[in-house]
Amino acid sequence: MLIPRRVKHRKQHHPDRHGAAKGGTKIAFGEYGIQALEPAYVTNRQIESARIAMTRYIKRGGKVWINIYPDRPLTKKPAETRMGSGKGSPEWWIANVKPGRVMFELSGVSEPVAREAMRLAMHKLPMKCRFVQREGGDI
Amino acid sequence: MSDATKLAAEKRTDFGKGAARKIRRAGNIPAVMYGHGTAPVHITLPGHDTFQALRHTNALLTIVVDGKEQLALAKDVQRDPIKPIIEHVDLVVVRKGEKVTVDVPVHLEGEAAAETVVTLDHATLQLEAEATHLPETVVVSVEGLEAGTQILAGAIELPKGATLVTDPEALVVNVTQAISEAALEAELAEAEAEAGIEHEAPAEAAEEAAPAEGESAEAPAETTEA
Repeated sequence: MLIPRRVKHRKQHHPDRHGAAKGGTKIAFGEYGIQALEPAYVTNRQIESARIAMTRYIKRGGKVWINIYPDRPLTKKPAETRMGSGKGSPEWWIANVKPGRVMFELSGVSEPVAREAMRLAMHKLPMKCRFVQREGGDI
Repeated sequence: MSDATKLAAEKRTDFGKGAARKIRRAGNIPAVMYGHGTAPVHITLPGHDTFQALRHTNALLTIVVDGKEQLALAKDVQRDPIKPIIEHVDLVVVRKGEKVTVDVPVHLEGEAAAETVVTLDHATLQLEAEATHLPETVVVSVEGLEAGTQILAGAIELPKGATLVTDPEALVVNVTQAISEAALEAELAEAEAEAGIEHEAPAEAAEEAAPAEGESAEAPAETTEA
């Protein structure tokens, strides 16, 4: 699973969930992609599950890119604990995804296979997503 | 794309985000046209027609401003990342017979040899061609290519009248050996174990594991007797 090797601050504030993605909104490496339509915190487990679902479906025929990285820690207080006594301990690693962001890319497979693989992967993700394809492009 | 799409544009006098949003609300697209040392001209383009024209790669446009026709290419198109909306277009003025440098998408054709993965490392090639005869795509055949084959930019057959600007040594297509089934299964099993993903037992295995109907009926009886 994706996890940072070292962080500057072990416990951080919750990242801002407002606004749209400023970059990474186009397909950069592959032919097909999964684009987020809502903001969400995507955990490293969800990223890995989506990758595995896609790789299992395409078997040995293609290549998968992951364009997001879970570099923000989220903390949690233990159950049945009174308030106070400081911030809880780090529990999850998340990627702060904004609408428009292309999270996964795929190449080397036909369009129907890519659509189905990405449909399966989208079920592992916590937000509304859509399948996108590389467009003709501008000059 | 040799046939230029004609778009009737209007000159803009109001600038800034307020004016631009007003134009977009009316279903039009704010744009700017420049090139050949002329002062930039701020214009408004018809929304639907421009959207349709820009569906084609490197579309050549004829912009009609104040009754004067001008050939132009879309240099930069700002699109909304989610909605199918064009927010702004930068047009560069071109002349007939003039050579321009454009990015042309590469399309792969055919099926490579079995047990291989074809990766497109450069999705576009920079080509120099006549503005009125710009190629829409560069087609590269990967039919029957074996693992380990690499196609460099210099080795690609270009459309007539086009010259390559991209580094001829740039890797465009890379054909690699597909991962073996056993290696893939091992990698996925390891990843699943790490992520704590559990699989439901397949139907046949579940049936074998579960006791047969007769046995299951007897088993509780034995327990009650005991």
